[in-house]
Amino acid sequence: MLEVNWVWGTALLYIALLFLVAYYADQRQKAGRSITANAWVYSLSIAVYATSWTFYGSVGKAATTGIDFLPVYLGPTLTAFTWWFLLKKMVRISKENNITSIADFISSRYGSSQWLGAIITVITVMGVMPYIALQLKAVSTSFTIITGYHDFHLGFMERVYIPSPHPGLFTALLLAVFSVLFGARHLTSTERHDGLVAAIALESVVKLVAMLVVGAFITYFAFDGMGDIFWRMFQKEPHTLSRLVTLDATGENSYASMFSILALSMSAVMLLPRQFQVMVLENAHEAHLNSASWRFPAYMFLMNLFVMPIALAGILMTGSNNGADYFVLTLPMRLDSPWIALVAFLGGFSASAGMVMVESIAVSTMLLNHVLMPVVIRFRPQSWFPLLLINLKRFGIVLVILLGYLYQSAVGESYMLANMGLISFSAAVQFAPALIGGLYWPRGNKAGAITGLLLGFAVWFYTLLLPSVLQAGGWQTDLLLYGPFGIGILRPQALFGLTGLDEFTHTLFWSMFMNIAAYLSLSILLGQGEKESEQMNRFVRVFSSEGTPQWETKRLSKPVTIVQFVTLMSKFIGEQQAHAAIADYLGEREIDGKGGVSEFELPNLKRFVEKTLAGSLGGAAAGAVVESFLSDIGSRMEPVFDIFSTVRTSRDQSREALFVRLRASEIMNRSLELDIIMGDLLELLLREFKLDLAVIRLLNEESVLKVRSYRGVGGERITAEDRILEIDTHVGEAFLGRRTEFFNDTAFITKPIAKEIFQKEGIKSFAHIPIASEGSPPVGVLSVFSRSIIGLFTEQFVELLESLAGQLAQAVRIVEEREAKERERRQKEAALLENARVTRDLELAKQIQLSLLPESPPSLPGLHIASRCVPAAHVGGDYYDFFHRGTGVMDVVMGDVSGHSVGAALIMVETRSVLRAQMQESRSPKDLLKLLNELLYDDLTGAELFITMFCARYDDAKRALTFANAGHTRPILFRGGSWQELDAEGLILGVEKNVVFEERHTPLEPGDLLFIYTDGIIEAENDAGDFFGVDRLCRLLSGLLKEEPEVVIERVLTEVGTHAWPQPLQDDISMVVMKVA
Amino acid sequence: MKKRLKELVIHRLKLKDTWVICFVLGLVMMNYPFISIFNKEVLPFGIPLLYLYLLVGWSFSIFIVYLFSRAARRDSDTKGHL
Repeated sequence: MLEVNWVWGTALLYIALLFLVAYYADQRQKAGRSITANAWVYSLSIAVYATSWTFYGSVGKAATTGIDFLPVYLGPTLTAFTWWFLLKKMVRISKENNITSIADFISSRYGSSQWLGAIITVITVMGVMPYIALQLKAVSTSFTIITGYHDFHLGFMERVYIPSPHPGLFTALLLAVFSVLFGARHLTSTERHDGLVAAIALESVVKLVAMLVVGAFITYFAFDGMGDIFWRMFQKEPHTLSRLVTLDATGENSYASMFSILALSMSAVMLLPRQFQVMVLENAHEAHLNSASWRFPAYMFLMNLFVMPIALAGILMTGSNNGADYFVLTLPMRLDSPWIALVAFLGGFSASAGMVMVESIAVSTMLLNHVLMPVVIRFRPQSWFPLLLINLKRFGIVLVILLGYLYQSAVGESYMLANMGLISFSAAVQFAPALIGGLYWPRGNKAGAITGLLLGFAVWFYTLLLPSVLQAGGWQTDLLLYGPFGIGILRPQALFGLTGLDEFTHTLFWSMFMNIAAYLSLSILLGQGEKESEQMNRFVRVFSSEGTPQWETKRLSKPVTIVQFVTLMSKFIGEQQAHAAIADYLGEREIDGKGGVSEFELPNLKRFVEKTLAGSLGGAAAGAVVESFLSDIGSRMEPVFDIFSTVRTSRDQSREALFVRLRASEIMNRSLELDIIMGDLLELLLREFKLDLAVIRLLNEESVLKVRSYRGVGGERITAEDRILEIDTHVGEAFLGRRTEFFNDTAFITKPIAKEIFQKEGIKSFAHIPIASEGSPPVGVLSVFSRSIIGLFTEQFVELLESLAGQLAQAVRIVEEREAKERERRQKEAALLENARVTRDLELAKQIQLSLLPESPPSLPGLHIASRCVPAAHVGGDYYDFFHRGTGVMDVVMGDVSGHSVGAALIMVETRSVLRAQMQESRSPKDLLKLLNELLYDDLTGAELFITMFCARYDDAKRALTFANAGHTRPILFRGGSWQELDAEGLILGVEKNVVFEERHTPLEPGDLLFIYTDGIIEAENDAGDFFGVDRLCRLLSGLLKEEPEVVIERVLTEVGTHAWPQPLQDDISMVVMKVA
Repeated sequence: MKKRLKELVIHRLKLKDTWVICFVLGLVMMNYPFISIFNKEVLPFGIPLLYLYLLVGWSFSIFIVYLFSRAARRDSDTKGHL
């Protein structure tokens, strides 16, 4: 016996230490430097599996039924082989879906079914009741044993005689306070509880150390090691020993029980709510699973190393296995080592406390999320909801622990610890088919899971829990012995006449048989709902879906804004958390001008809101909350319209989309006519996509989007009206904004004109796609309309339409380029034609002009004359003429209108007419020039032209030449080897109205050669810029004085042409050669 | 040679298949009829055979899982978290 106050004091000190550790870990977590995100702590926290059942009960079981205490720990070791893929998958799924508990996990897999979650919660609450009872019983019994008091005896109470609390109740309340403090600080259940985990890990260390200390003390101090214990046992009670260390064919310590306990523990280590909590939810990093998978089994191994020796030592020391459950405590006391016993008590207390805390928190989360929440969310969300929910969770923790206490009070004394634990294991194993099937079997469905669970639970209740309560209370044993209403075949512990098995194997067999059979058969017979198969994909294919983007297959029928979602979240998880969450989500996403996310992003946002809420409310309730919120604002999730025969979730192009693209390029290549291309393309769209109307508008020169082509029925206003580029039409917005403008439901349209048109036309959804090739401004807008389908425009479809519009833009560009080229070619052609016509006209003019010059020079006795005019262009301004005045007298005129254009030619013609008219009378050269100047002055000034003119009269009788010159190139007279220029004063015609010309005379002698010419000869220029010049001309002529005038002309022309070559003549050339015989 | 063998073993240990095989093997070795081999009333080294078998088998399987975790730890994605 130990002084009660010592026990009290130590226990309280220990609890204070736990608080401190938990508080410190919490502070560290707040500072962002978690001490529990560590593989060692993780492994130790999983050891919450070892409860007081392990600590005390294993020895009890080893001493009574024997070696089958071991499979409870061998099972978990075996499952450790599967952790790296099975548990990893569960952890990954839980993190991605914000899973809060095992009930949430399984119900989420089966379409977030609230019913399934509720059923699992009820099973769990019933199932963990015996287990929590076991812990409370262990604490109170060990207290009683170590102190000798049957209540939590306080020293002063002896004097005041107040009824002291029952130790079980007291323990229950104490643990409840601890759990509430460290397990229910936030509502968000997915957040790791660092304080709790740290406390659990510390307790795991304490219970292991305590067990090893007690075991080593008994084995090596009271006895001489394990071999000694076995040897003494073999000497003293060989039959007991052989019973305990071998397996029988039937009964409690048989091959069958070995198998069933193995199976139970294998599933329990992962499926018990507290195991799920620490292994899956409190996991900080997936890599921790890796090292935990050997550290945890090693922990179990050490924990059980001394169990058999202690059990046998107990039998040896006490002579029987009575009270074997507490040998760990009683043997040190028998050996007069109360301090060792106190260590053992602390170890046992640690084992119980850890289990109760985690279990109550886990189950309370389930209760809140799956039983209370479905009720709570029926009410309109209020601002005080977060407070209500967190308090409900705290209440749940207390409730779960008190239920355990209740069971303990009712059943407590009659059952062994280990057996109470196995009852709980048998309940937990019911989750295995739905969970494992849910992880790996795509067909597993909700109906199967619910039915299987219910049947398994019913069998468990009827064959295990009910008998345990009945036997404990001693009531209604008839039922157990003869079955209900005496129907023997329904006896709970020999259902359908199955006997020869221990009760756990019996229950395991029947419950699993029913459970699995129902799960498999209903899953195969019935299908999955849409929500179910969506969730199934997230669970079964959690690893395979990584990194491959998917097409969205859902849409919200009415757009919801971000603000609305935030308001909703605030009502459940508090404003601050809601804002933090949404900021986190929006961080890397695009937000459009209206402060919303794109329509294709909305379903994702909705899922995110659901997931965030799921972290606090559980998946099923969160789903229901969001659903009811959506239906309140008149929106809902609906599948996108299936434009192809199958909704493709993969980003790969569907066969149909490829087909349409292929056909579109065929259309573009088949014709060069834009109208045909557009018409065919629109027809293709209408035919393939069940559209009602499709219009193409192209931008014309006046910046108006003009309807160029349309197909489909109705829509007079749409097809008739062109659109100017304005932001207040959808077409304009699409064009100016250079992005697709679409409405999946015209009921929510805001632009008044569009709204009116669409209402009249009955159009339900539409899209305007700018026709633009990559990187260049749009050339038009492709518009498609549907009268029947809301939600036609999925991301996938819009992308396809955009790509078709891009193709069309290419076609438009090609056609435009081709048309521009064609236009240019025509213009050139026309210009050429015009040119030819002008040339022909000019040629005609040239002929006419040449014909105006004297056909042949007059023949005068004693005078040889030759003349020639070579226009530089078709027509020229040079003119010469001869006028025969009776015998022996002849007038010669040579003029040069400035320039050699058509204008010059016309003036030349006029000059000729005037001259010819005036030549009827005989005038002296100076009079003639004066008269001509007067007559032509006005016309010349008007045309801004002028004329140089040389005028001479030859009198054969006098052999003399009378001449006057109006600025013309001076003629050259060759006489006897020398030459002179004939000069006379005179102004160019057309400069001044009244001009007096000088008249000169020169006698002519036989052999004289007079050369009258225009400046085209001497101004002929060669490449180097040298003029032909008067000198050159004179030298040339000097050598030709003996020649005939015709020959002279030919030679001069040849020389001038040679001089200027390769340039053509710049000016008209005219010359008259007169040779006096 | 020794190094290559080590690489080979590590590679095999990374396979999920190996984990599953070991799991099934362990299940078989802990159940009837395999376990009946050791279900005899003899005490080698003074310790009952079945008890000894289970303890030795247990520590052996812990060692195997340890090897597994060593092999898996070499994966680059788990670096720095152990």
